[in-house]
Amino acid sequence: MATVELSLKLQASSGSKIKDFLNANLINILAAFLFLLLAFFLLYPIIAVLLKSFRGPSGFTLQYYQNFFSKNYYYQSLYNTLLLGVINTVVCLVIGFCLAYMTTRGPWILRKPLKIISLVPLIAPPYLFALSLIILFGRNGLITKMFDLHWQLYGFGGVVISQTLAFIPLAYMMIENTLMSLNPNLEESAYDMGASEATILRTITIPLLAPGLLKAALLIFVMTIAEFGNAAILGGRTPFLAPDTYTMITGESDFNMGSVLSVVMIAPCILIFFIHNYLLEGKQFTTIGGKPVASEPRKITPLIQVPFMIITTVAAGAIFVCFAVVFAASFYKILGVTHNIVLSNYLDFTSNQAIYNSIRVSFVAAVIGAIIGVLLAYVIVRGKFFGRTFIEMVSLSGFALPGTVLGIGYLLAFSAPPLKLTGGIMILALNCVFRFLAVGVEAGISKLHQIHIEIEEASADLGASFLTTFYKIVLPIMFPAFIAGFIYTFMTAIVSLSAVVFLVSPGFDLAAVKIFDAAVYGEIGIASATTMKLVLIVMICMLILNFISNKTRLGSSMKKSAAV
Amino acid sequence: MTTKGVTGDMDRKENEKPMLILKDIHKFYGNNEVLKGVSLEVRRGELVTFVGPSGCGKTTLLRLIGGFTDISAGDIILDGQRINDLPPNLRDTRICFQNYALFPHMTVAENVGYGLKINKWPKDKTAARVRELLEMVELDTFGDRMIDKLSGGQQQRVAFARALSLEPKVLLLDEPLSNLDANLRLVMREEIRKLQERLHITTVFVTHDQFEAMAISDRLVVMKDGLIEQVGTPIEIYERPANEFIAGFVGYVNFMEGRIESIDETTCNTVVNTEYGRLEITLEQDDVKTGDDVLMVIRPESVSLSLDCGDKSQNVLCGALKSYMYAGSIAKCTVTIGDRTMIIDQYNPRDAQQFQHADRVEVEIPRSVHLLKKK
Ligand SMILES: Nc1ncnc2c1ncn2[C@@H]1O[C@H](COP(=O)(O)OP(=O)(O)O)[C@@H](O)[C@H]1O
Ligand SMILES: [Mg+2]
Repeated sequence: MATVELSLKLQASSGSKIKDFLNANLINILAAFLFLLLAFFLLYPIIAVLLKSFRGPSGFTLQYYQNFFSKNYYYQSLYNTLLLGVINTVVCLVIGFCLAYMTTRGPWILRKPLKIISLVPLIAPPYLFALSLIILFGRNGLITKMFDLHWQLYGFGGVVISQTLAFIPLAYMMIENTLMSLNPNLEESAYDMGASEATILRTITIPLLAPGLLKAALLIFVMTIAEFGNAAILGGRTPFLAPDTYTMITGESDFNMGSVLSVVMIAPCILIFFIHNYLLEGKQFTTIGGKPVASEPRKITPLIQVPFMIITTVAAGAIFVCFAVVFAASFYKILGVTHNIVLSNYLDFTSNQAIYNSIRVSFVAAVIGAIIGVLLAYVIVRGKFFGRTFIEMVSLSGFALPGTVLGIGYLLAFSAPPLKLTGGIMILALNCVFRFLAVGVEAGISKLHQIHIEIEEASADLGASFLTTFYKIVLPIMFPAFIAGFIYTFMTAIVSLSAVVFLVSPGFDLAAVKIFDAAVYGEIGIASATTMKLVLIVMICMLILNFISNKTRLGSSMKKSAAV
Repeated sequence: MTTKGVTGDMDRKENEKPMLILKDIHKFYGNNEVLKGVSLEVRRGELVTFVGPSGCGKTTLLRLIGGFTDISAGDIILDGQRINDLPPNLRDTRICFQNYALFPHMTVAENVGYGLKINKWPKDKTAARVRELLEMVELDTFGDRMIDKLSGGQQQRVAFARALSLEPKVLLLDEPLSNLDANLRLVMREEIRKLQERLHITTVFVTHDQFEAMAISDRLVVMKDGLIEQVGTPIEIYERPANEFIAGFVGYVNFMEGRIESIDETTCNTVVNTEYGRLEITLEQDDVKTGDDVLMVIRPESVSLSLDCGDKSQNVLCGALKSYMYAGSIAKCTVTIGDRTMIIDQYNPRDAQQFQHADRVEVEIPRSVHLLKKK
């Protein structure tokens, strides 16, 4: 039998040497091609930023860095950004922890509603919160006028509040995930031995959660200091790195200083990336039989229950109010100033044009992103070549990279030949593709881990070529991951602001940029209506994603990669 | 006895009071009634085992006793005190979860000393007690190990030591041996039993393994679908099961149908009429009477097998030997009598050969057969 098979195979393979070589090396060729794409569209722009920060009119110089560290203004900007990051991270962790604790340990009836409210901000572009704060507390804000207050929303406080609300879901999801994977019997054992709720928290829950909490903290910190929209809309005279970079480029056309600011912003991200990878390696505690199970509600002592309830209620209430306010504001020219309900905001031509543009850009990004994501996942999981982990690292890094950096990077890299892309939708789409590649790749990887390589080998064994195997076996199995990558890229791209704000050309507005401009210029009605349209689009995407993940068991892996 | 005086009497009374009383306990999860009225008294120093198929509510019952789940109806009385509403940290019960639930971020000693620390024992007393406990479970050199550096059996010992650290009134063990491999399971169950008897600690043990249950317990509680089917010593449960389910659950059983023809009140000599003829047994139960339709519970090892020798004595049935499986300490024989198949265990079958080629055999039904009344 075996010899017959073998000779058949030999016969078949002697047919064409070239085809054979291709079959054997196609995966490597594919990997090389993908690596070139990554290098060109992800690494090169970043390097361009780095180079620009050192290159003066007469070659290499440290002058711009000197400039940065000698000027009080920049120093202040860095300080504000880091402080914002720290405060935001701490507050988000506390709120996220309280919410997650309540939805995993609290009374049954509270679990579902609290969970939904905690996750609701996911369907909103992050700057929705800045917008709603303006509507409530701005100069003409509802509450400002109602109580005749004289406070200043624009500044550090406003940014902290809007950022916190925007990052609650991320904190919540990550903490809930670790809390769910904690064997409830551990806490029950401590309870059994006489520990009070507070003692259990202090001696068991939090120590065991520490690696997960640290991970969440690092990620939230990185994402907050990079976040552009809230700081730009609400920052006022308070300098922050991300909006400063924007002003530096669009206002003063000073690419050198813009690059320096970007590098300063990347530095903590890279640092944290390494801490994350090397410090936390294998630090998760494992226990036997630790399958995720829902804990039964505990009789939580008032000492814990009251502060937790206050925090969760305030957070949940604030999220709810923000949505309600933006929704209401979308039906007035300026809510609180004009008094007749209008639909004109929804019919506004420029707004709809911007939405249309956004959909086009995001669609193109989603198609390309999903394809590259699936291929990358395949190469990373099945490939055996040198540098595989490097490719994995690079393709997952876009997520943690500040959007402003990639924005400037693309401006620097692609505004002149050989590849002049500026001014079209392609540069916007590609930017989104490589920024949001991580989730598509993660989904693909986890899907591939569900397939045994034997299936592919069996197919190859039967004489199928690499392409046939890929086409007939791998693609159908990967299809859910492809769709998930597609939708995820689409909905992330459509709300993203920080990078594209550098890349839009006059006359080609995107929805996010339109909202940003409208919010800055006080066109609250238009900004709100455009935001609501985006919320609707994202909501539909979420529903589709949910449907797919329920159908294909992709759910947990998607949730995980969305959270990581 | 009478000379002992008043205090002695009081002591005895105290000792006879049950340690744990479960009174008509019901538990609903939503509309799903998981426990449907469980009542039991557990005596001081006794090891009672709840045994039953998976999903019958054993873990739920332990969690109720431990206080982790609210009781829907009924009472739990611990040492004379109703503890329904006490949270676990105020109950003097200690639970060992099936997965041990050892704290992975602490050493062995810290795990064992956790309860002592929580209850604010002084440092030196804690250290001494931890040492004593670790010696007791033969882990005295392992105090500084982290939990994930222990084998399954060692983890089990740590969990046991931790549960015993504060000398609880009742120890609750939820399938403590189910994560161990077969050999270790036998060793550990003996150790647990020895320690339990030595410390005289009232213990509620839960398992789905009927053999483990019989080997370790003073009394067994057989459960099914949230109800207690029977309570009794291992012998009572095995020899005098209350119904078909229990008879089959605690071991293999051959049932034979019949009707009681007569019962001699003085000698208890009872004649049961079966389709294969009259069988005589000595009745040891009073829940059946003449004329009842009964099922005879015939255990495989209670039957003796011999080659056909023509002597038609009492209680002997003729059958055909269908298969003879030699398995070392026993041989399993399958005999058909009429259209019924009977499994018979032959112990230490040294003269096994003689049956290997036989086809007609005699089967002697013992006189001590238990009868189940048919409904
Ligand atoms: N927290 C819970 N919520 C809902 N149903 C439960 C819960 N815990 C157990 N049950 C149900 O109660 C029944 C008994 O479970 P359990 O006590 O774990 O059984 P056992 O330990 O005997 O295997 C099962 O049908 C199980 O599905
Ligand atoms: Mg159980």
